[in-house]
Amino acid sequence: MTEIAVSCEDVWKSYRIYHQRSHTLKEKFLSRRNRFEEFWALKGIDLQVPVGTTLGIIGANGSGKSTLLKTMARILTPNRGRVRVNGSMSSLLELGIGFHPELTGRENVQLSGSLLGQTQREVEASYDRIVEFAGIEEFMDTPVKNYSTGMYARLAFAVAVSVEPEILLVDEVLSVGDESFQMKCYERITEFRRKGRTIVLVSHSLDTIRTLCDEAVWVDGGEMRQVGEARDVVASYLAEVHGGPDEDPILAYTGRRFGSGQAVITDVRFLDAQGEPTNSYCTGERMTIHLDYRAEEVLEEVSCAVSIFRAEPLVHLWSQNTREAGLRLDLAGDGSIEFAIPSLPLLKGGYLVSVALHDPMAKKIYDWHERRYSFMVFENPNLPFAAGIIHVPTEWAASPSHAPA
Amino acid sequence: MRRNSRELVQARELTVNLVRRELKAQHRGTVLGRVWSLATPLLLVGLYYVIFTYIVGRPLVEDLDRPDRHHVPFAVYFFAGLVIWNVFGTSAATATGSVVGSGYLLRKVYFPRAILPLSTVLSAMVTFCFEFAVLLVITLVFVGLPSFQLLWLPLILVVVGVLAYGAALLLSAVTVFLRDVAHFIGVLLQLWFWGTPIVYSLSWVADKDSRWLLRILEVNPMTGIVVSFRNVVVLNRPPDFGLLAYDLAVGVVVLAVGAWVFQRWQRLFAEIV
Repeated sequence: MTEIAVSCEDVWKSYRIYHQRSHTLKEKFLSRRNRFEEFWALKGIDLQVPVGTTLGIIGANGSGKSTLLKTMARILTPNRGRVRVNGSMSSLLELGIGFHPELTGRENVQLSGSLLGQTQREVEASYDRIVEFAGIEEFMDTPVKNYSTGMYARLAFAVAVSVEPEILLVDEVLSVGDESFQMKCYERITEFRRKGRTIVLVSHSLDTIRTLCDEAVWVDGGEMRQVGEARDVVASYLAEVHGGPDEDPILAYTGRRFGSGQAVITDVRFLDAQGEPTNSYCTGERMTIHLDYRAEEVLEEVSCAVSIFRAEPLVHLWSQNTREAGLRLDLAGDGSIEFAIPSLPLLKGGYLVSVALHDPMAKKIYDWHERRYSFMVFENPNLPFAAGIIHVPTEWAASPSHAPA
Repeated sequence: MRRNSRELVQARELTVNLVRRELKAQHRGTVLGRVWSLATPLLLVGLYYVIFTYIVGRPLVEDLDRPDRHHVPFAVYFFAGLVIWNVFGTSAATATGSVVGSGYLLRKVYFPRAILPLSTVLSAMVTFCFEFAVLLVITLVFVGLPSFQLLWLPLILVVVGVLAYGAALLLSAVTVFLRDVAHFIGVLLQLWFWGTPIVYSLSWVADKDSRWLLRILEVNPMTGIVVSFRNVVVLNRPPDFGLLAYDLAVGVVVLAVGAWVFQRWQRLFAEIV
């Protein structure tokens, strides 16, 4: 049996919406009773987050996503049902939590760290890393009220990414901050996942959910619409947002896997230039896709195909297989295939990847993973800004204009 | 088990950090820093001394003689009472804002909520330590060496601590639902101050015919604390154990009620504050 990190058992949560809050005695006694409406933000949520899972929570605004996260974080107490947490937990709902303007950077790191559920020893252990990441060593003994907005944000962010709990709850922190923050945040969460920690993530970015999460829950009107593999849940959510569920057959295809099984793709990993696993790249970086396969029989002249799609809107960008690339592939037993793009020509956004093993003419499909994998691309600060999907190396020139003499 | 002990460590460290924040933030940016927290009580003592010596004509308390025949001036007598009163007075006054003023924390992170009123009481205790140091110096200079009676001091601090934390729990929770309490408690503390033998002595009241004032003093749980504190620090006398026992009993009741109310209502703090 897998161990459960967070479990919600029939959790109901209501808010009282007062039409006029009475805070003073006079109001309390003069108006006969408080008029309020009861609003149920969560209606019987039953959810288990196994240890080591990254769970994404998606849903429209006001659907109860954040309430669910705050209930898991024990900030809110459910009216009915219970939340059980097994392990140390930190919740990142805001950057710079507990920062006091009069205190120095050093003092704020301590205070904020302990509010984020870290012990003093843990804060001290990560202190150097925080300072290094924030890059403001010479200002650590200055009150933060004298910081520039950028310095403040960097320090707040450095504290946030330094936490090392067993369970991490994150709410939209990713979407604030600039490109390098987001990138760093992604790296931290990816690192967290590798360490087998549990993460619960609320985000409006479906790319983020798809790339970072194993599982997702779709919350709608305080109820759970769907729980399951992140890509499936995101696909159904998108299908509903973009119209009826069967309007876009291509979209519904996302995550499908099929084939004869004579050869199977057992693992797919994205690697960075150093060969480390990652899910996020900057434009122009080296991207490697590593596939492990197992062939049950000897298969000659197999084609391994890779396709890349833009996630939103869904656009097929590029496909190639080993036959087209001039690589002869004969499979027998276990092996791996690496596919690399030396300089990734994609701009900021979320991308999906299909991988497949089939015969040269794609008549016999051995194993086909249709858009089961995803990665994110971030802006490369060293390249000139460009809008769109693809990166095009450019040269601009201008001739002198003909000004009147 | 492991998780509970970890949470306990965290809660303790967070409390220390919050107390530190409160104290540091109070005096950051001022040149004299901590000295300012002494300025208020010292100014009060000076003011009352002038009023009772030159305007009223005589202090409410005749200068006392200690058992060792050392003379205790009114100013020292009064300052001692004020210092111990402040532990309770400051706690109660700042506790009303301790939960209400921390809305941004309550809405964003989980921590045992009772830490908030606890940190106000502990900051009052830290301030007390500074004032107490000054009191000791003043006593040494103007009166003489304190006696072994000073060893009763921890007992008195426990009693006042229990009472102050109970009141802080109750007030911090009630203020969330009824903001009036913050103003009301300011007025009440003024009255309470005068209903406690700080500027005058118990015997001074007993000599008068005002039975009602004596009644108030008997019911007031701060009476025994102030009398006993002054006895052991300045007057070289034993604490008034009878009164102190009563104060402790009241303190325990207040703490129980405060903890019960706080426990019941804390789940709503994050939504209402």
